[in-house]
Amino acid sequence: MALQNLGEGRSRPSFSRYFGVSRSAMASPATFMALMAPGVAIVAAFFLIPLVLVAMEVANGPDGWATYLVILTNARYFESLVQTLLMSAGVTVVALILCGIVGMFLVRNRFAGRSVLIGLLTLPLSFPGTVVGFMVIMLAGRQGAVGGISNALIGEKIVFAYDIAGLFIGYLYFSIPRVILAVMASAEKLDPQLEEAARSLGAPRWRVVRDVILPGLMPGLISSGAICFATAMGAFGTAFTLATDIDVLPMVIYTEFTRNANIAVAAALSIALGVITWLCLSAVRFLVGEKADVTTRGGA
Amino acid sequence: MRRGWPFYAQLGLTVLLCLFIVVPIVMSALAGVTVNVFKGLSSGLTLRWIFEVWDLYAQSILLSLWLAVACLVVTTLAGVPLAYVLVRRPNRLTRMFEEILTLPVAIPGLALALALLITYGGFGSFRSSWVFILIGHVLFTMPFMVRSVAAVMSAMDMKTLEEGAASLGAGFWHRFLHVIMPNAMPGILAGALMVVTLSIGEFNLTWMLHTPLTKTLPVGLADSYASMRLEIGSAYTLIFFVLIMPLLIAMQMLANPGKKRRAALQPAEDE
Amino acid sequence: MNATAMAQPGSQTVQTEKTGGTRIELARCTKTFPDGTRALLPFDLTINGGETLVLLGPSGCGKTTILRLIAGLEFPDAGGKITFGEDDVTRQSIEKRRVGMVFQSYALFPNMTVAENVAYGLKVQKVERRERDERVRAMLEMMHIDMLADRRIDQLSGGQRQRVALARAIALRPRVLLLDEPLTALDAKLRVKLRTEINSLLRKLGITAIYVTHDQEEAMALGDRIVVMQKGAIAQIGTPREIYRAPLSPFVADFVGASNRLDGRIEQNSLVLGDVKISLDQIGHAMTGDPIKNGDSNSNSRSGQGLADIYFRADGLAICAPDQGQIRGRVEAISYLGEKSRLTVSGIGESVITLDVDPDFQIAIGDDIHCRFNPERLTVFGRYPDARNAAQAM
Repeated sequence: MALQNLGEGRSRPSFSRYFGVSRSAMASPATFMALMAPGVAIVAAFFLIPLVLVAMEVANGPDGWATYLVILTNARYFESLVQTLLMSAGVTVVALILCGIVGMFLVRNRFAGRSVLIGLLTLPLSFPGTVVGFMVIMLAGRQGAVGGISNALIGEKIVFAYDIAGLFIGYLYFSIPRVILAVMASAEKLDPQLEEAARSLGAPRWRVVRDVILPGLMPGLISSGAICFATAMGAFGTAFTLATDIDVLPMVIYTEFTRNANIAVAAALSIALGVITWLCLSAVRFLVGEKADVTTRGGA
Repeated sequence: MRRGWPFYAQLGLTVLLCLFIVVPIVMSALAGVTVNVFKGLSSGLTLRWIFEVWDLYAQSILLSLWLAVACLVVTTLAGVPLAYVLVRRPNRLTRMFEEILTLPVAIPGLALALALLITYGGFGSFRSSWVFILIGHVLFTMPFMVRSVAAVMSAMDMKTLEEGAASLGAGFWHRFLHVIMPNAMPGILAGALMVVTLSIGEFNLTWMLHTPLTKTLPVGLADSYASMRLEIGSAYTLIFFVLIMPLLIAMQMLANPGKKRRAALQPAEDE
Repeated sequence: MNATAMAQPGSQTVQTEKTGGTRIELARCTKTFPDGTRALLPFDLTINGGETLVLLGPSGCGKTTILRLIAGLEFPDAGGKITFGEDDVTRQSIEKRRVGMVFQSYALFPNMTVAENVAYGLKVQKVERRERDERVRAMLEMMHIDMLADRRIDQLSGGQRQRVALARAIALRPRVLLLDEPLTALDAKLRVKLRTEINSLLRKLGITAIYVTHDQEEAMALGDRIVVMQKGAIAQIGTPREIYRAPLSPFVADFVGASNRLDGRIEQNSLVLGDVKISLDQIGHAMTGDPIKNGDSNSNSRSGQGLADIYFRADGLAICAPDQGQIRGRVEAISYLGEKSRLTVSGIGESVITLDVDPDFQIAIGDDIHCRFNPERLTVFGRYPDARNAAQAM
């Protein structure tokens, strides 16, 4: 409601509660309002209203409002949901382990070529999902690097771009840059003297990792893991390009919408997907107390 | 500094991960200039595929560039003032708005596209114009601009700056244009690079929003992967890389301008 | 250059000899970083058992590097040797060295409570549960933080954190306690209070301690001996009194707070400053010999002629009646400091001089004043072109 007031710019009293009376060197409430107006208008017209409408669209489905439950009741959708969840969770775990080690290593050591390695690792940050899919084909497709090497070594082409391993590799490919950046950011904040203190107290290397480094990185790992998970849940381009027979949820939504014109179901599934990712990010914020900043995530 | 086996083990893993990222990029770039991928590099190098891509997809490439510029203009004009308000007036209302603002990034692009289609899909001429895609891009990239600018703004003690300017007699708009904007420039620049890069690469939303006449670069890419020979897909990917690499490199350089930071394990000699 | 040899004879006075602590020796140590920077020039250093040694110097002088060599966080270049008592620890890593460290940032583990922090070392050493709890409790009591045992680190003030850090470092009964600017992050008042506490703690424990600081006052208050460092080399080793009263070089004099400097001459066993002439025998501390050209009897004697640097603190010059005055100056600024007033005076040397007067002394900016030197409080360095160049080459 307050937002509506803001948009229409009428009710001064409630507005001044938030924007204060004009103090010295502080813009007037009207100015603040004018500054926010374009952004608020765009978000209201093209995000909030469509969001409400798509939520209502579900009611036009075969089961009315119960269409929302279709993701749980329909075996195919449910299976797709489980597959997507498993896939995303698996990619998140692997990415966290790999990037945790590598990110920490890159922060704590200085050597020739370090910045080149960082540059290369973060290169795919804004590759669209389709390009990532194509990268997987380049790596593990019929003309791929892995196939070429295995052909030379054992006389057999190993091709896995088009099955679940390929999809996994693709998800990993676009997760690595994001997670590495997040891990490095929180590793930079980790006081190296903490490690030295633990060592001075006699702690061997593995205990330093367990007692000091991991607890210190944990907030960063949790929030980057959440972002990684959320991105994987919504990833569409990679699966689309690889045209796998694994039905990840975004692919199911796409098929329902375009091929079957099943708009209500597509809307219900979209909302379910949106709620899951949003819940995941919010839970992390609640857990870690700091923001899982989605703007470090880029498109996939 | 003595380096034991853990150092080399970790270095090995880092290099492996790097190869995982880079090998397909290099392979695809090479495939884009190879006469026949199935025969390999020995078949010779050629620019033929690049020209062919240009013939087929020039329109979509140009549209993507145009969209990126338009998206940058809109997100800057709307986003910079938003960032200013969010930093200068942090309260429940503005925080809630910030939350809503970042939602389009958090929820899958497919869902957002669906919502836009259901709401505005019926307006024929709007639906089929490039503005429809622009809206999707603006929603998706705006949070990046706002966050980036807000980060710089909150780091620079804007209150004091503004009070200083006001004490010299500068009115609000004068302060905004001549004090706030110039000082927020690093954030605007970083945000701008991010917005352009993301807009050029956006696929999830655009695939749903596009029409045959409003294909963007990534849409064309998906199309070429599905229906063209491997060399053309590769050549097209190469063009995409060439477009996006300078932006990514600029972004990395902007992110760590001072490479003077000393080695973390080297003693910070006597503060 | 052998640094210990530079200290004046008798500088290792009897009071510093305590028993109980581990004696530490660094022999022929140097440190070069991978990028080629020479952080420490060759030096020898002995820390007696139970002694508190302060490493004092400006940023980048190498004092922290020495501390890290002793800790085992860095290793000396080949040829250097570090021993703890009879134990050669040169290549031993920090985990094995049994040292206690206190860091400037405290470096307390944020994921553990106060008690868990203090217990950590004991836990790593697999000290049995009952004994561990007992020792942690004793430590916390000794540091007067037993009521904070279950607090989280972010709930503590700076001073409390520092106490926890100390308790954690000494809980393991280390062979040496290493303190790296432990008070720098605190405000001035608390710094003085904790300094006193640390001082009595170190005396009580009788532990060998090495304390790094850039604060001259802290060094004086804590050290049995002070090592003044300059550009990776040891400039002087001595008791606080020696360092304060008898600095061996202009650098040391300047660093330990003799902030006034005048140019003078040495002629026939006297210090000459304009019209003023003071016999060198009266001067509190005169280093007129050329320390490099020892063989040259002419330049090494007090009768040698040449330029001189005169250093003194605010008590080296006093206001007096006009007829007794040696030099005249003009008051540029007056700072009222409570127990005294500090004057900034121009016209005496090239730059301004500070001197102290009674706070009730009637004086105004712009006044001309007459002053007399207090020869006992002057430090004079003979300046010879060769000595200067040699000093720079050190």
